[in-house]
Amino acid sequence: METIDTVTLSVINNALINICREMGTAMMRTSYSPIFNEGLDFSCVIFNRRGDMIGQAEFCPTMLGSAQYAVNWTIEELGLESFEPGDVVVHNDPYRGQCHMPEHMVLKPVFFEGQIWGFVANIAHVGEIGGMAPGSFAADATEVYQEGLRLPPVKVISRGEYVKDVWKIILSNHRTPKTSWGDLHAMIGSLSIAETRLLGMLERYGGLFLTAASDRLLDYSERWMREEIREIPNGEYHASDCMEDDGVTDQPVWIRLKLVVRDDEVIADWTQSDPQARGPVNATFVVTAAASYSGLLHLTSNDIPRNSGCYRPIRVVTKPGSVVNVRHPGPSVGGNTETHPHIQNVVVAALSQAIPERAAAAEGASGCNFLFAGVHPDTGEYYTNYHIDGSGWGATGFHDGNSAMCPENGNCRNTPVEVLENKFPWRTLEYRLRSDSGGPGRFRGGLGSSRILRVLAPEITVSALMDRTKTHAWGLFGGGKGGRGGIFVKKKGDTQFRTFSEAFGTVSDSKFTRVLLNEGDEVMIHSPGGGGYGPPAERSPEAIERDLRQGWISPDGARELYGYDP
Amino acid sequence: MNANTRVRCGIDTGGTFTDFVAVDEASGELVASKWPSSHDNPVEAIVNVVKESGLPPESIYFLILGTTVATNALIQRRGAYVVYVTTEGFEDVLYIQRMNRRYHYSYEWTKPLPFVEMRNCVGVRERIDAKGQVVVPLERESMEQLAREVEARLEGHRVEDSAIAVCLLFSYLNPDHELRLKEFLQSRFPGVAVSISHEVAPIWREYERGSTVVADAFVKPLLQRYVNSVRESLDSLGLSCPWAIMKSNGGHASASAAEGQPVNLILSGQSGGIIGGKYFGDLAEQQDLITVDMGGTSCDVGVVQGGKLSYITNYEIEWGLPISAPFVDLTAIGAGGGSVAWIDKGGFLRVGPQSAGAMPGPLCYGRGGTEVTVTDANLTLGRLNPEYFLGGKMKLEATRAREGLAKLGSELSLSAVEAAQAVIDMANENMANAIRLVSIERGLDPRDFSLVAFGGAGPLHAGGIVEKMGMTRIVIPLYPGLCSAFGAALADFQVDKVWSTNYRSDGMDGDLIIEQFRDLEAAARDELREEGFSAVPEILRSISMRYAGQNYEHDVSLEGGGVSAESLQQAFGEFHRLHEQLYGYSISGEVIEMIRVNVTAVGRTRKPRLRAPPSGGDPRPRQSREVFFDRSGFVSCPVYRRDDLPGQFSLVGPAMIEEADSTIPVHPGHTLRVDRNGVISILA
Repeated sequence: METIDTVTLSVINNALINICREMGTAMMRTSYSPIFNEGLDFSCVIFNRRGDMIGQAEFCPTMLGSAQYAVNWTIEELGLESFEPGDVVVHNDPYRGQCHMPEHMVLKPVFFEGQIWGFVANIAHVGEIGGMAPGSFAADATEVYQEGLRLPPVKVISRGEYVKDVWKIILSNHRTPKTSWGDLHAMIGSLSIAETRLLGMLERYGGLFLTAASDRLLDYSERWMREEIREIPNGEYHASDCMEDDGVTDQPVWIRLKLVVRDDEVIADWTQSDPQARGPVNATFVVTAAASYSGLLHLTSNDIPRNSGCYRPIRVVTKPGSVVNVRHPGPSVGGNTETHPHIQNVVVAALSQAIPERAAAAEGASGCNFLFAGVHPDTGEYYTNYHIDGSGWGATGFHDGNSAMCPENGNCRNTPVEVLENKFPWRTLEYRLRSDSGGPGRFRGGLGSSRILRVLAPEITVSALMDRTKTHAWGLFGGGKGGRGGIFVKKKGDTQFRTFSEAFGTVSDSKFTRVLLNEGDEVMIHSPGGGGYGPPAERSPEAIERDLRQGWISPDGARELYGYDP
Repeated sequence: MNANTRVRCGIDTGGTFTDFVAVDEASGELVASKWPSSHDNPVEAIVNVVKESGLPPESIYFLILGTTVATNALIQRRGAYVVYVTTEGFEDVLYIQRMNRRYHYSYEWTKPLPFVEMRNCVGVRERIDAKGQVVVPLERESMEQLAREVEARLEGHRVEDSAIAVCLLFSYLNPDHELRLKEFLQSRFPGVAVSISHEVAPIWREYERGSTVVADAFVKPLLQRYVNSVRESLDSLGLSCPWAIMKSNGGHASASAAEGQPVNLILSGQSGGIIGGKYFGDLAEQQDLITVDMGGTSCDVGVVQGGKLSYITNYEIEWGLPISAPFVDLTAIGAGGGSVAWIDKGGFLRVGPQSAGAMPGPLCYGRGGTEVTVTDANLTLGRLNPEYFLGGKMKLEATRAREGLAKLGSELSLSAVEAAQAVIDMANENMANAIRLVSIERGLDPRDFSLVAFGGAGPLHAGGIVEKMGMTRIVIPLYPGLCSAFGAALADFQVDKVWSTNYRSDGMDGDLIIEQFRDLEAAARDELREEGFSAVPEILRSISMRYAGQNYEHDVSLEGGGVSAESLQQAFGEFHRLHEQLYGYSISGEVIEMIRVNVTAVGRTRKPRLRAPPSGGDPRPRQSREVFFDRSGFVSCPVYRRDDLPGQFSLVGPAMIEEADSTIPVHPGHTLRVDRNGVISILA
């Protein structure tokens, strides 16, 4: 194969990214549940036939990291020879290279000149997949069988024809089959678009050439990543963090990292972490791997083409049966949303010792997962919904943390109040930023948000899975911790909000399922704030004055957090 | 032009020059003039181009301006002091935004700042629910409380620099509270500009609507000042004709209509280009066009399909700051003559998006520029004539350009010429990518399109782009550098009206929809009349539809002259078909929701026929020089002046055609033909 000029290479790289973006746009436009079309809780990827990810777009990092494993597992389990043109495979098994049960991958082989050239795939959060809790986010689950319908890699479409038996099983086990049907079709429809576009590229460049070009891109990313790692001083860096409880027992669960930087390689050794938790805060191995990659990618150049070449210099070591590598039948639904950002924060904390100028303080790190279900009084139809909120990000050495952001493991949007209320019987009473929730520092942590919702139906069943309601996002280099989050309830007629433990006797304040609320009851969700960077005393008076003026800190906060008299 | 001439004029305020074009519709004669733009006072150049044209004021009967006042105010964040009024409890929505981020692996990105301070986001007690019903009435007392808060925020700020933006939850379903606040605030704060969300953008999603109404308020006082200033200047010139401003939708609006809703003017300065490009595409008898308007710093790429422009409804000034309004679908990229060439950390050559601008400009300007630009590369390859840049008004220093390229090349193990070739190739690649965005990404094959190249630098790059894209036809307008001003002079009147609805295909009230269309059409016709169009407009109708359960919709056109029960049924069928075509599947039997009804009223203007160039001239080359082309290396090229080329003239490349505001390389093997209108077509 002759040399490929860099112009052609960057054109091909962009074209692969654009195909993935287009997949995402199609899913946004055609899907049914708000977590898809407003939340964009999905990722889109292209693989070569060897199982290397050669293209991705700017969606959720957690799924991007895990796609590498989910696709390879599928290829290995089914065998390359079992794929035929027009096939679509679905797969959500957390013990077979997936992130957690709601995350479904659909994958389609792309045939060119009679052979599989590669695969197009996306992984997306299907909002209701059965199990013990409506919305399939069982915060008190102790085994996977309570978390919903588990699907190993199976074909849902074979040679272009529906595999009806499999569809019947899926749709009979989900509480809202119509929505699942719409969402799965949005996912599968976007694969057809990607397939068409990829075939267009193959016709233009030829199969061999495109393979060679994407190999070059993989090598290029690997080379660049190694260069970046070489700039990090060699050494062993330690950091740890805990999940405040696991939803089943009121005990913290620790994640511990020894991170070794050796020339152009990184080893993330998680073997000192706690054993597998009883509740669903366990991460699958691929979540831990994705979080390790994501930590490194956040601290290196933003211009490296994103493909699996970036992962090659990174080794991830875990002990099976631990909180960072769950073993069957341990539950894992919160591992992907809550534990993932904690793991990633720990990577960044470890590397902050080596490259302080690139690091950020800890973020709120909670998706503030809030699930609800019921019968809509206007339509008489049963619904469920997966609702998320943004938390404050950590400050860096150059700027304050962003407020109310999706945690680093995702890149989701919120659901607008006007969309939420159009679909579900809630009235939103407020949606604000929380003053003083950003950790103080030379640069301040981002603020968390506050959302108050009032029940408009006779009954709504709610569940939640959050973290950092007892613990805090830490600051770096003298920066202060971010404000805690929380979820609270005010029964109709009550005058004050209380925790769900106080009001309903749940084990955990932040992780519970199936609490029945009635018309007029209110829920308040506080997302946690991010940590500060550098000593608060070094914050400029102008910045403090601005924060006061905009209401990002209160006069009391200025005194307490900064010793500043307004 | 003789004393009885009546001309229609267009003025385009560009980053470097303000261009003026006057068209005599009867004779097809064209008068042009140019004046350096002044950033701080765009009206000054407008006055000067009119004077410079030498036209008697009474000969001008209509004048259309493309303005970048709104765009620049937003980009440079120099606009009004805004107070944002919203439903109590939702004051922070503009700062919370949508929670997502531009890059998925980076700590460097920070959220874009809204055009209003957070302390100026003020709540008012009221609430309308998702069905449009009032659940908390807007009481007099709450309005008084609001007035006190707004007053406190406005204190110390000049009335004429202040604006109030109002966005209440669900106002697109029930505008009553917003309308009452509008009246109240206007009477309580006379002279302060007020923008109302359901008037500016009657769409759901509070952040997107709020962001749009704030942008509108932010630029409103500036636009009002601009309009007044233009009005006075035109008066002082003795110009009493009606005049209008280009809108982002490619139409134009009377000055008073434009200043009332300036959010519609964000692409005012850019949409003229595509209109002009389409005009010349039509002259060349081409229906499917990709227009490339390349200037000094940026390049706008647009698509005309089947002789029609395409439109989008969302535009982002910065990532994460959406503006919802009708826009001609243009993709702007940072690729122009001044775009800088650099090498990234991984060792790849990059071109743009940063630009050396006009000052210090490219190395070859000799004004202290230190970075290699696209212009330097063109000069090094012989594609620019150092003695005839801007028609000879400026001399270029070829040695500086070559030295810079030699230095850049040494980092890439390339010679100066190879480096120049790579820079041009990369710039062309960036433009090709923009073309792919507007074509391939939408399932259109660019090879079915003609490339209309204009702007100072467009014609220079057209040959390279078509070779890259596999396209076969280039159209070069007359006066390529003036195409945007010319487009403004030709633009039609256009009013877009939308209204949010909540209908379903099961159990809908067809009569209600028909009535809604009738109301919108009447409003659109009225507005066209106010804008100065008195003939019968063309009415286009569509409904935005989606499957019940989806959250994004597609516009389905209603064919024929009106709306009826049958045409609605046909539209449902069309929606299923469109869904199948776009996404590979449709869901027959699924309920279809109708989210918006849309009406566009177009008042067509007469399109002039430009006077044909003299035929049978003596097209002898003025000189010859060595020019580099990818396939042939340096070859000796005859150099022609465009003025010398008669109608029906043709030649086979390599050749160079020079004119005052542009240079056209005819690549080896390409065939150039001048048609009877003077428009150049090049077949690759």
